[in-house]
Amino acid sequence: MILITNNPKFQKDPDPRCDTEYMAGSYRDVLIVVRDMIHQGHKLLSHPLSGSVKPNETPYKSILISKSTGSLDVDSLQIIEDSISTCDKFMKNPVKYGYNNQDALLADFSEIDHGLIEVAIASASSR
Amino acid sequence: MKLELGNIFIHDIQFDRLSRVEKGIIYINEEELKAHLLEDENIRSVSCDIAKPGESVRIMPVKDVIEPRVKVEGEGGVFPGILSKVDTVGSGRTNVLKGAAVVTTGKIVGFQEGIVDMSGPGADYTPFSKLNNLVVICEPIEGLKQHAHEKALRFAGLKAATYLGQLAKDLEADEVESFETLSLIEGIRQYPDLPRVAYVQMLQTQGLLHDTYVYGVDMKQSLTTMLYPTELMDGAIISGNCVSACDKNTTYHHLNNPVVRDLYAKHGKELNFVGMIITNENVYLADKERSSDWSAKLAEFLGVDGVIISQEGFGNPDTDLIMNCKKIEAKGIKTVIITDEYAGRDGASQSLADADASADAVVTGGNANMVVNLPPMEKVIGHVKVADTIAGGFDGSLRPDGSIVVELQAITGATNELGFNRLSAR
Amino acid sequence: MAKFRVVHYINQFFAQVGGEEKADHRPESREGFVGPGMAFKAAFGDEAEIVGTVVCGDSYFNENLETATKEVLDMISSYKPDLVIAGPAFNAGRYGMACGTVAAAVEKELGIPAITGMYKENPGVDSFKKEIYIIETKNSAAGMRDAVKVMAPFALKLAAGEDVGASAEEGYIPNGIRVNFFEQKRGSERAVDMLLAKLAGKPFTTEFPMPDFDRVEPNPAVADISKSTIALVTSGGIVPKGNPDRIESSSASKYGKYDIEGVFDLTESTYETAHGGYDPVYANLDADRVLPVDILREYEKAGKIGKLHRYFYSTTGNGTSVANAKAYAAAIGKELVADGVDAVILTST
Repeated sequence: MILITNNPKFQKDPDPRCDTEYMAGSYRDVLIVVRDMIHQGHKLLSHPLSGSVKPNETPYKSILISKSTGSLDVDSLQIIEDSISTCDKFMKNPVKYGYNNQDALLADFSEIDHGLIEVAIASASSR
Repeated sequence: MKLELGNIFIHDIQFDRLSRVEKGIIYINEEELKAHLLEDENIRSVSCDIAKPGESVRIMPVKDVIEPRVKVEGEGGVFPGILSKVDTVGSGRTNVLKGAAVVTTGKIVGFQEGIVDMSGPGADYTPFSKLNNLVVICEPIEGLKQHAHEKALRFAGLKAATYLGQLAKDLEADEVESFETLSLIEGIRQYPDLPRVAYVQMLQTQGLLHDTYVYGVDMKQSLTTMLYPTELMDGAIISGNCVSACDKNTTYHHLNNPVVRDLYAKHGKELNFVGMIITNENVYLADKERSSDWSAKLAEFLGVDGVIISQEGFGNPDTDLIMNCKKIEAKGIKTVIITDEYAGRDGASQSLADADASADAVVTGGNANMVVNLPPMEKVIGHVKVADTIAGGFDGSLRPDGSIVVELQAITGATNELGFNRLSAR
Repeated sequence: MAKFRVVHYINQFFAQVGGEEKADHRPESREGFVGPGMAFKAAFGDEAEIVGTVVCGDSYFNENLETATKEVLDMISSYKPDLVIAGPAFNAGRYGMACGTVAAAVEKELGIPAITGMYKENPGVDSFKKEIYIIETKNSAAGMRDAVKVMAPFALKLAAGEDVGASAEEGYIPNGIRVNFFEQKRGSERAVDMLLAKLAGKPFTTEFPMPDFDRVEPNPAVADISKSTIALVTSGGIVPKGNPDRIESSSASKYGKYDIEGVFDLTESTYETAHGGYDPVYANLDADRVLPVDILREYEKAGKIGKLHRYFYSTTGNGTSVANAKAYAAAIGKELVADGVDAVILTST
């Protein structure tokens, strides 16, 4: 399986259980790349909107997709498109935190995104 | 399984030399409680405060809210598998300090959320403004990782609630309520003509800071399973969910699950409340398929006519909610789902991240994006600067005069998806 | 406290000018209240008065949208009102479109609060619910009293600049804007009640309607188009010159079936459009632009299609209710199948 992510924690420390494709870019950019790969026949393995931290708060997103490709998986397409709509809806009001320790804040967002996708990787690896 | 709840009505909390409950007042020996909580090496310091209904007090960031309860009779103890042994709970007699709560605060992450205003417009949006709250503020040791910090706060809250609960053990209750669920076969014999209803509760289980524990087991490790509704009343389910204050279920919500209460209210009269199915909300899609397949399978196995499905969280769980709904409806079992909405600040956006025509009976906890103006409060317990980083809060959220402009998202329990509140939307 | 000045917009029927035959009645202005305005006057009490009523025939309005709207707006503004009420239109489609257009224009151009009332299936609902508040009414004038009971106080509220609550509280048709409000009972109790109703087969109202999913599975592709019979169906309103069946320019209550045996080209003298929702000039000059008979005849000759079906079916899509459209489609589809048609080209505008 392939991990599409813009989370620097994975760039520094990729998980050996999957192929990591680290990309620079926004949360939405990650969703778009995943969407494009779904059109190329990959299947979505994790839910793009993982976690309750909203798309307009956290800059990081990690998504798991299948390495193998097949014919277009409509369910995957539906989910990624719904996720992009949801992201756009929230991005009408982007949240800029007034917190004066941005590094610590970003580290928290990175930690949470990492923690949630690790669970998915573990589930995927157990089969 | 039959459980009696002995409610002792509390109308005040005070610090005093001797911890006890007398005439509806909880007296707390603050030093004793603090020492008890400081037994956890991961906690550097503890301070306590009291917040009462109507006071000009703001508590933030709120991590969890827990109701003090204690087992008086029957198997096991409150919070099984965590602070009590793993023995099955939900029967016998449990005393409750009704009208009181322990509120934990702590900045686990930079964007830590949860506001409770004890008066003013914000008070209308949280049930915790109506309670006498013992606020416990714990500071972690230096460099403690988020997951360990969360665990420390989680246990601190449960321990504090248990400490208070113990004070009620030998008290005479002001009111006794009784709840009984018969076995399947007895239930069919007793209520042959009543429609059979089960409650499917979805629990937040996505991972770090998004977890729920059942008898101490991380629910994400569990297959969809079943409980007697009374088990919840003894703390079988506790919250490890820290994100999205408005729609996360605090431990208080779990102890006082309103769907359980309202189904019991009509049990034996208009319906046969057969039991509960608990299921999880996963990140891995195949896990979602399995969990929802099992919800539908168990509902069918129980032979129910209808279910109420409640959710926890947003986005990803919307997909679980729709999966559960579709698959259960496909078995010929009627559903009503409870959710909340993120319809944008103007209310014009698509409320849910997923949808299906079979979800034709929906109860909503309201639009969490609605912006509210919270006036300044005389006293803030917790961390005031947090307002700018609170989920649903934003740069400039905290005004110089101490007022806060936030979305409902930031208020603890505001759009609860168990249907705890009267807030709705059309 | 000064009374609010209200202008009431109604059609030829409610103004007692006449029925369908007077639907071409040009806009006119009358002092005070007319017809159902009396019910509003009673409901307003001391707080508002109807200073003038503007009347217009539904056909005239819908067929001359731009000019009629301007005329009506001028008449309305001459009264210097604080509030405008249109209708209620109940289930009358063209009246609903007129009321919606007038109310929306009053809000937008004159900056004055305006409301109307309609039955939920009125095509005016979908067209205007996002622009103006439409109070939900019954489906006929028998619901006038109940409509006024809700419309009058709501209108006063708007005139006074008060906050508007959720659709369920105020009685307007949900317009897609979600508004929070506090119910009497908590959510879990509402859920239990809803489930009991659903189990008993009793009616219940969902608090959140899922988005509309009318998904139709596409048929498989035509196997061999060079051997197929193709039929033309249109909602673009193409009809024989003179519109012998009097298909309406909007909110069509019928469809026509026309024989094109021996017709190779639609011309200005033989065909026209009945559709009132687009500029008819080019369609009237050459109706093939909307119903491509000429091209299909060429294809027939060249062997690209088997043959063009003898009959074409036509109606106007403008403001036609979904329910009616579905009904026409079912009837037309039945005939096409019976006649051995393989595929349909459906044109619209």
